Amino acid sequence: MDVVFNQLFAGLSMASILLIIALGLAIIYGAMGVINLAHGEFVMLGAYTTWACQHYLGFGILLSLPFVFVVVGAIGWLIERTIVQRLYDRPLDTILATWGIGIMLQQLVRIVIGPESRFVSGPDFLRGNLEIGNVVMSNYRIFVIFFSIAVLLATWALLTKTEFGTKLRAVIQNRSISECYGIESKRIYSLTFAYGAGLAGIAGTLITPLFSTIPTMGTSLVVDAFLVVIIGGLGSIIGAAAAAVMIGELTAMFSLVINDTLGRIGVLACVIVLIRLRPRGLFPENTRG
Amino acid sequence: MSKILKYDLVALLVLFIIVLFGFPTFLGFDGYELNLYSRYLSLGIVSMALALSWGTTGILNLGQAATFGIGSYIMAMHLKIKGSADLPDFMVWNNVDVLPWFWVPFHSLSFTLVAGLLIPALVGGLIGVFMFRARISGVFVAVITLAFLVAFQLLVVNYQGYTGGQNGLTGLAPLTLFGWTVDTYSIQFYYLVAGCLIAALVIGLYLVHSKFGLILRAIREDANRTRFFGYNVASYETVIFCISAALAGWSGMLYTLVLQFASPTYMSVSFSLGIVIWCAVGGRNSVIAAAVGAIIVNILQGKLSDVYVEGWHMMLGATFVLVVLFMPRGLHGLVGTVWHRLSQRKADKKPQTVLSKKAKTGQTEGGR
Amino acid sequence: MKRRDFLRSTGALGVMGTAGGLSAPALLLGTSSASAQVLGDDIPVGLLFSLTGAVAVVEHTLHDASLMAMEEINAAGGIHGRMLRPIIEDPASDPATYADRARRLMIRDKCISVFGSYTSASRQAVLPVVEQRNNLYWYPTLYEGRECSRNVMYGGAVPNQQQDNVIAWAIENFGPRFYLLGNNYVYPKEENNYCKSLLAELDGEAVNEEYVPMGHSDFSSIINRIRTEKPDVIFSTLVGDSDVAFARQYLAAGLDPTQMPVLSLTRSEVEVKAIGGEAAAGHFSSAPYFMNTSTPENEKFVEAYKSKYGGDAVTHFVSEAAYFQVYQFKAALEKLDPGNVTTETIRAAAVGTELLAPQGSVLIDENLHTHLWPKVAEWQSDGQAKVILDSAERVAPKPYAAYEGQTCTGAGLVET
Repeated sequence: MDVVFNQLFAGLSMASILLIIALGLAIIYGAMGVINLAHGEFVMLGAYTTWACQHYLGFGILLSLPFVFVVVGAIGWLIERTIVQRLYDRPLDTILATWGIGIMLQQLVRIVIGPESRFVSGPDFLRGNLEIGNVVMSNYRIFVIFFSIAVLLATWALLTKTEFGTKLRAVIQNRSISECYGIESKRIYSLTFAYGAGLAGIAGTLITPLFSTIPTMGTSLVVDAFLVVIIGGLGSIIGAAAAAVMIGELTAMFSLVINDTLGRIGVLACVIVLIRLRPRGLFPENTRG
Repeated sequence: MSKILKYDLVALLVLFIIVLFGFPTFLGFDGYELNLYSRYLSLGIVSMALALSWGTTGILNLGQAATFGIGSYIMAMHLKIKGSADLPDFMVWNNVDVLPWFWVPFHSLSFTLVAGLLIPALVGGLIGVFMFRARISGVFVAVITLAFLVAFQLLVVNYQGYTGGQNGLTGLAPLTLFGWTVDTYSIQFYYLVAGCLIAALVIGLYLVHSKFGLILRAIREDANRTRFFGYNVASYETVIFCISAALAGWSGMLYTLVLQFASPTYMSVSFSLGIVIWCAVGGRNSVIAAAVGAIIVNILQGKLSDVYVEGWHMMLGATFVLVVLFMPRGLHGLVGTVWHRLSQRKADKKPQTVLSKKAKTGQTEGGR
Repeated sequence: MKRRDFLRSTGALGVMGTAGGLSAPALLLGTSSASAQVLGDDIPVGLLFSLTGAVAVVEHTLHDASLMAMEEINAAGGIHGRMLRPIIEDPASDPATYADRARRLMIRDKCISVFGSYTSASRQAVLPVVEQRNNLYWYPTLYEGRECSRNVMYGGAVPNQQQDNVIAWAIENFGPRFYLLGNNYVYPKEENNYCKSLLAELDGEAVNEEYVPMGHSDFSSIINRIRTEKPDVIFSTLVGDSDVAFARQYLAAGLDPTQMPVLSLTRSEVEVKAIGGEAAAGHFSSAPYFMNTSTPENEKFVEAYKSKYGGDAVTHFVSEAAYFQVYQFKAALEKLDPGNVTTETIRAAAVGTELLAPQGSVLIDENLHTHLWPKVAEWQSDGQAKVILDSAERVAPKPYAAYEGQTCTGAGLVET
């Protein structure tokens, strides 16, 4: 039984990482219908920014978080202003353009910083484990789980409790009428994109102590994040959270009964079937009039 | 004969002349270079196959590499059996004692050639029925095909004893066609690949310009309206998906012949998105332009990646972003616009806008 | 760096070094085609290491080490007064491109030998090409064995050279229960086959054997299983980024290296640099060479490497072999009459060649593999290895050690 509990925790830990990566993607997708394939590269940039903070300034991970959020958010804002903005009426083309952006960002990091894997050390006070009976939970992973819940709540508050959120929801509901009320939809979109990119950057920061930081790390992450968003439903952040937990736990349970390779294939198969059965996602929201 | 068909036939003729006479002369009939260009031409077919589903019907298939990979592995299985005295070496290493049942029929070349078209078509058909019956479209098709591709590649790599795993299928025997042992560095082989490309393009053109093609374009423009007219949209989508998959399988078979090797990298996400890039650069709305796009991008990659080892990917990414932004119809759209302006100037008749031409041929800026 | 610029610079070196070779007869070159080539006054060799793509991080160091050896040889006057002319290709981490570029090097550029490859997949892709063209391929990487080509010079360790004394040592020091963990391809599977056969002899046991996809990065489930099983040793054949991710998550999970250390066959200074000294400390690797091996040859090698490629560059057990294989090639050519250089004569001259490599004196066996000096090292928090078990004698390569009745000999594979 302990084995199952340990696996449940592992699944939750995977889910939290997935969620924090996918959340930004979900917001961008929900707001503008843009599938951003460069999202994995934003995560990668976040990881590298963290590395730079630690390497040159001696910052710990937690201290780097705000910096990373601002830096990657700014990069996202710039990309939205120059490229993505021109493609809002062509949703499928954004997939292609952002893939191209992703290739460029990867190559840029490779040329500027180098292709080898970088090392970022995790926070010291989060060493070790929390043990409850035979259930062992890594402190750092617990921290990531709580952090992702916090980010989820903050995002929810931003969308529902602030003026910016109200405007964004208005624009999503009906862009032209919102424009008549004096909402600058372009500005709202740019800020939303920047926020989504910033979240991806934070995800990058959080996973550096666990994963290998390399220029190509985003490619594998973006596929999973992409799946989470689609299963969750159109831009629904609650849906994204549910989908992330589902994929994380499925992966962990498959891994328990078979192995990691076949488990991953099993998860993908479940995802395909789920999209077929519920093409509008787990929690479809009536948006984008 | 419509004007657009006339243009297409002229383009096909020009391409035919370039491929059959231009390239070999330009390359001085050098064996190594001919092999390289055979590779590019074979990739032209898979790019054109994508244009049928994506540019014509509006189904963005991000998993085209899966059916391409099936085709390439089918050819490699035949050549591997041919090149092995008893069991293929990698099976021995993986303690597989008898040839698995699904390998056995590939002793026969004719079975292999048919299977290389039919099995990808079958796979494409199954995925097509699965998706289109539920009226799934747009981004969701992209996600499902992508997820399928990732899962499929994992499967192939995992069952090392049956597929060669990460190493792929190497040490293949040369192909023997009607008693002729194919030398992949010969002009004859180059003409074989070039012939396949032209044949595939003729098939593609026929499809696009038939009534069937017209309905496909109607589906791209507005699937619901097409449904109201009484057409079974799901069937049309499934059929074109099958055809596209079969052509991709054909392309994969040729690719294995050219490289004498089949590798799981042919089923990677980046290869699959590469196909989309070639198709977009050439022009997704025209099968000929899509094939030309694949050939041009790959020639450039061959030339530039030697010189700019690091910078090449940067150029590729930048080119792609620029094409999507400013040339949504690729080189094809660019040539069309220029051609149109020129002919306007020449004719000096009442101005005909680009828009009206588009209305005639049912092309829109940016496919959905 | 552009290829052309590079050729220009070595060309200049070539001009400096030709004085001795003006009157010497031209080298003749044999390939499978009947027409023998007449060489100019240099020796074209291929360098086939990925400079871009997924495995470029490691392969770039191999490329650098090979190139450095070639430049050293040219600076010292070349071979029989002829300069080595390296022709550089970048196969971009794609096996199919390896095969293609190998062909290009052998057919178009008329190389008499090609140095290259790191992954098994790329070696397997090149193998048919090099056998078909009857050329020589110098492969520096430790690999899974079970291969006996007469056209490949294997410079790296095979399973018996990485495991023979090591497994016994690990059982004695930590205990008999092994958890076998690797990536899902042929190298880990073959190493684990051999490991299991040794464990069976030594009364050890493999409590689990597990493979993850290439590039797999979330090991939380596996760490849970390791916790449940409580093995004495984690025997790892994870490569590249999977290894990096596993090492970090091992640390984050708070597991204790003194209780269940990772014994890796694939973790070198390159991986440790990425993992970080803190996560690597206390774990072990088995290999014939580590960067701080204390021999005069190694001090010279490391110093030259650092001065050429920067102070934070590291050497490791594959780049060392990439380096000494070029010298083995030179030693073989020097034994030959310059008018009679073919694949057959180079191979015959190479067999039995003994030279002082950074790891110690290495010898080319008649089966074209190399006799090496296995070592076990414990990683320190500064990212360097401390050798704690050095072999008393040089170990002969047995590529078929795990398979009864098969031996790789000078005549190819012999079945008894």
